[in-house]
Amino acid sequence: MQTKEFTIKWGMAIDLDKCTGCGACMVACQAENNLAPIADASNKIKVMNWITVYELSNGKPYPEHDVAYLPRPCQQCGHPPCVSVCPVIATDKNEEGGIVSQVTPRCIGCRYCMAACPYHARYFNWRDPVWPGGLEKALTPDVSVRPRGVVEKCTFCHHRWMAAKDKAIVEGRDPMDLAEGEYVTSCTEACPNGAITFGDLNNEEHEVAKLASSKHAHRLLERLGAHTQVYYVSRREWVLRQLDNYLEDEKVKG
Amino acid sequence: MAVDRRGFLKFVAGATTGVLATPVPWKLLDDASIWTQNWSWIPRNVDGANSYVSTISKLCPSAAGMKVRLVGERPVRVLPDDNHPLSMGGITALAVAEVQLMYSPSRVKRPLKHAGDGAYVAISWEEAEKMLKENLRRAGSKVAYVSGDETGTINELLSGMAKESGSEDFYVMPSEVQPAALAFASMNGKGQLGYDIENSDYVFAIGANILESWGTVLRNRAAFKKSHPAAKKPTVKFVYAGPVQNNTAAGADEWLPAKSGAEAIVAMGIANLLIKSGATINAPDFAEFKALAAQYTPQKVAALAGVAPAKLKAIAAELSKAQRPVVLTGSEFGQGTGVATVLAGTAVNMLLGSFGREGGVKALPLAPKVIASGMDRSESAQKDLVAYLSRISAGKVSKPRAMVFYEANPVYGLPQPAAMAKVMDKVPFKVAFTSFLDETAKACDLILPTPLGLERFDDVETPYGIGQAFYSLARPVAPCVIDGKPAADVLLSVATQLNMDLGFATFEEILQAKAEAAGADWDSLMEGEFFTSDAVAEQSNLRIAADVIGKALAAAPKAAKLSIAPVQKLSLGTPNTAIPPYNNKTIRRWELQKNEMYVAMNGATARELGVVKHDRIKLSNSSGSIQARVNIFEGVMPNTIAVLMGFGHTAFDEFSKGKGENVMELLTVGYEAGTGQSVWNVAGVNVSKA
Amino acid sequence: MGKNYSLPADHELFPEGTSRCSLTKFSIWMGLVGAVALWGLYAAFRVLAEGLGVTALDDYFGFGLWITFDLAVIALGAGAFFTGLLRYILNIDPLKNIINLTVIIGFICYSGAMLILVLDVGQPIRAWFGYWHANVHSMLTEVIFCITCYLIVLIIEYVPLILEQKQLNKIPVLHHIAHNLHVWMPLFAGIGAFLSTFHQGSLGGMYGVLFGRPYVLRDGFFIWPWTFFLFVISAVGSGPVFTVLIATIMEKMTGKKLVSWEIKTLMGKIAGAMLLVYLVFKFADTYAWAIDVLPRSGLTFDQNFYQTIYGKWLLWSELFLCGVIPCVILLTPKLRNNPVLFYSAAFLDCAGITINRYVFTVQALAMPVLPFDTWETYAPNWAEWGASALVLAYGAIILSLSYRYLPVFPQERSLNATKSN
Repeated sequence: MQTKEFTIKWGMAIDLDKCTGCGACMVACQAENNLAPIADASNKIKVMNWITVYELSNGKPYPEHDVAYLPRPCQQCGHPPCVSVCPVIATDKNEEGGIVSQVTPRCIGCRYCMAACPYHARYFNWRDPVWPGGLEKALTPDVSVRPRGVVEKCTFCHHRWMAAKDKAIVEGRDPMDLAEGEYVTSCTEACPNGAITFGDLNNEEHEVAKLASSKHAHRLLERLGAHTQVYYVSRREWVLRQLDNYLEDEKVKG
Repeated sequence: MAVDRRGFLKFVAGATTGVLATPVPWKLLDDASIWTQNWSWIPRNVDGANSYVSTISKLCPSAAGMKVRLVGERPVRVLPDDNHPLSMGGITALAVAEVQLMYSPSRVKRPLKHAGDGAYVAISWEEAEKMLKENLRRAGSKVAYVSGDETGTINELLSGMAKESGSEDFYVMPSEVQPAALAFASMNGKGQLGYDIENSDYVFAIGANILESWGTVLRNRAAFKKSHPAAKKPTVKFVYAGPVQNNTAAGADEWLPAKSGAEAIVAMGIANLLIKSGATINAPDFAEFKALAAQYTPQKVAALAGVAPAKLKAIAAELSKAQRPVVLTGSEFGQGTGVATVLAGTAVNMLLGSFGREGGVKALPLAPKVIASGMDRSESAQKDLVAYLSRISAGKVSKPRAMVFYEANPVYGLPQPAAMAKVMDKVPFKVAFTSFLDETAKACDLILPTPLGLERFDDVETPYGIGQAFYSLARPVAPCVIDGKPAADVLLSVATQLNMDLGFATFEEILQAKAEAAGADWDSLMEGEFFTSDAVAEQSNLRIAADVIGKALAAAPKAAKLSIAPVQKLSLGTPNTAIPPYNNKTIRRWELQKNEMYVAMNGATARELGVVKHDRIKLSNSSGSIQARVNIFEGVMPNTIAVLMGFGHTAFDEFSKGKGENVMELLTVGYEAGTGQSVWNVAGVNVSKA
Repeated sequence: MGKNYSLPADHELFPEGTSRCSLTKFSIWMGLVGAVALWGLYAAFRVLAEGLGVTALDDYFGFGLWITFDLAVIALGAGAFFTGLLRYILNIDPLKNIINLTVIIGFICYSGAMLILVLDVGQPIRAWFGYWHANVHSMLTEVIFCITCYLIVLIIEYVPLILEQKQLNKIPVLHHIAHNLHVWMPLFAGIGAFLSTFHQGSLGGMYGVLFGRPYVLRDGFFIWPWTFFLFVISAVGSGPVFTVLIATIMEKMTGKKLVSWEIKTLMGKIAGAMLLVYLVFKFADTYAWAIDVLPRSGLTFDQNFYQTIYGKWLLWSELFLCGVIPCVILLTPKLRNNPVLFYSAAFLDCAGITINRYVFTVQALAMPVLPFDTWETYAPNWAEWGASALVLAYGAIILSLSYRYLPVFPQERSLNATKSN
């Protein structure tokens, strides 16, 4: 399968030199997309997070040590490893904007897509979600709550795009020509450091498109060929080197 | 029977075709796909009209500005507010969970009385008020008020009630505010120190965790955001000095490892280098200061604070080259620092010519108090809760007969909390105005649920750290979801019944008076606008208070062989909120596993202690002990153990309770020589395998 | 005809001319197996009632013991289609003496795998979406289609055997059906071989296409990654000897000769030959993976292994101990004719294929692909073991009933007659 191209390609550029790992994006995402809280969230590989923040280390001992934080939403691959494997087309990449969809009412929960995704962007509902103490009253009306047994993932807050398009239509504007910032994801909006830039990668006027072409911008595991729509920016060589696997004698691209 | 083979096969084929031709299998399949997405136990979306209300957080210590999204009458999200000076398009990990905290399982839902057998009994508000009134009357002047609010006018009400009953005992929970206020007062300063980070071109934070928890964090972060354009060279250098490569260090352009509690020494080292390169201060005690600073050679700073001399010199040189540098001092965990720390930092700002300059330090005017008998912020800063409780414990002052806690959780949040709790235990009547069933509430005889900041009227005046005078209202965006009453209303009613004259009948009148005193327009405040002013407080006879610094540093406790560095993260909440339900997913893997917490040290320290990652250890000192597992993190200074704050709650709900242990148990209270201010930012510790 | 009270109460149901243990003994055995099955049923109930949170699976190990188990039994159950292919299509007549057993084992393996899949998918009620909303690009779709179709074939192949039960066969219509099905058997064997080849291949293809997982990623031929072919050949290289092992275990348990040594060694020889073909490809594949797939993914060979749990010993065991050695034994007449060496080789062969399925399922997921990620480890918990044990118990029950009441082994009478006379 070739990389899917669209007129609009929503993408992100995350500046890893600006992220301090505060977690505001993770909390904002959960509230926006109606993820259930969990009392013991310490088993990190069995806890639902559409965006999670990894800690990166330069591997050097004190005092040469350096740290970076890497927020990881779904990378919305142009050539998604997850889509072709799904036996029931519960996930697809065929909509303008290039967001990899996840149709949870269609999902049978085989988890093949999770095995396929090297970014661990996909999560399974191991149990039914529970909102104790009336917390379900704070659920938003935008995103349906998922039952146990289905896989889900970050959708770039797809509902926000729908809302932005609707608004443009109501105001008599072209919904395919949204101004920068009219549609951003919840994590982008929440980040107090402005580490996340969101917009149309195909629109040269959008900041994200400029950032994506920066020599400091790389994508995760670029050499696997998933052609992700999330770019990571850092001016630190060691950070860029951790965005992909390199053999010892290989130079970092760019 | 005459069913032959052919007949049988025909029957099977016919039956199959027949059944498939009926709607039964198709209907069943269709239903199955509908059932599997509509289980009755899965909540449905409840739609409604969207509206957005601008307000300010009373829950997050950053005083985050925010927009609350409502669906119908239901608040569902806290969103950043691009136009608010305390949001600037960002939100903290704590404030963003505030709507969800309205429905926290640990919210107190109705007034509760602690029965003799330890159980909680629900009572009516009438009964609760009566109980409060009678106990306050009985206590007379032997009453103490403790507030957990740093910025609200309710402190005037609480302190006014204390004074009206003849007591001087009103305390605000310790933070960065008190040492800063005391420091500025000892300089003969008027107003509150403010930091104009956004207009600065070099930001040096000594201890102050400015990108995570210090001051008005969102505003700090906005300055960081603006000066650090993505993929480009930063326009402003941020340097952080502290013992742990924490979140602020992760964002800063440079991390300067410096021991916990040695912030004043680092500042004095910088001051010394600046003076050597010709910097002066036009103040009467400059000579004294110069002599004092001269002691803090790079070598001495290295010995006392662990700062590499070359790095110290480089930073001093960069500071003096900068046009509008600013130095911020504080504790990396937001409390326990001494007056000298702020004084030394302010002296460096003066040496840099940054005092009163754009992008530097400013003296912000505070609105005069509106309750005549109440205390203003500089008065209440003199009141040291930790010292007070210690004096009671030592028998130097008599214990009060009643204590009123307003949104304060000293039983969890003070240093040596077990010892502090023991003192409070002896008080015959304690009442907590609180939103959550926290540790302090559990120790109280009467628990009165307060609406959250999203459910009540309240105000925020010039929070510490901000660079301009500020005033705004928190307005109820939604009806209170519990049977709560604003504490101010209850207190005013009780005050009236006790014949106290506070000069106001309602809290709204108090807030109106305050707004007027601050120079703000009430009507626009009610519409969610805020008041800011670039006015500065006039100063005269400003001095450095070199004597205060000198006395404090001369007797400063030496760092122990092995010391504790508490690490604060807003996502783990405050003593008042504990860990919000959604936020425990932000706890990192090697910070907590099940209910066991991890502490971090670097590899060399671990080797010296003979421990490896995941080992169980016991950390203990004269104050207390905690158990934890070892994590290796090279971003910790040698002989230092980084311990995350916010664990070890014994109250609240399944999202906080019983997770890890409370680092405050290890923080030993000392008293700053000269000022007598209680300090607890230097804690030695012993480690043994557990 | 007078009654013989020394015979078991259910002796009228036994296959013609055979003897079986007492009903009491049989009941005790079934009770024991039933107890295991009950434990498994409890695990299955918990999983269906509470969700997969009951298991030790997590977001890194979405596949674990169950998928490994499924892949292993499906590979080992390949004796059914391959023997059928040889017997009915290539007319290797002696195989008729073991074909029934291969069919039963195939049926058990596939129906057991389906049972596990019902637990393993998060939404079993939606399992039919695989047909309704099929994604033709997914290897898993091919697996779903082929496995379900092939299970039907296996049922069709199993039915005549049941109908040949002594009492049932007396009913004319059942007798006719059984007879006719036998006539059509080559057709089913052909369909079975086709379906089975494709889904065995697709199971391998499922892994080979995962371009996000360099551990299993394989280039290939046309749309099929090399693992597609490797899985097919490895299945036929182990399925026949698995059947032999089961037959031998049954012989040990019943104290009877059921399949002649000649047939067993013939099966061994067939498996050995296929194993040889497999190993040639497997070595070539491993080499190509190490010198091509890995370096172009920026990875070294060593980075694919971790401590003991995912150590290189697994690879070396799979290739040599459980590959080359059994292959040599099975293909060398002298060694093959030594029962101890023969059975050991058969066992090692099956073990090697199981290791292969395990590392492709689990180690592939354990290995960090993101450079800043870490190895994760996985150990199944009671619920997963329980459900797997349920399938084993289910298999034992089917086999026991089939052996007791159905004419599974054509040679049984003659082999045991010569022995006792």
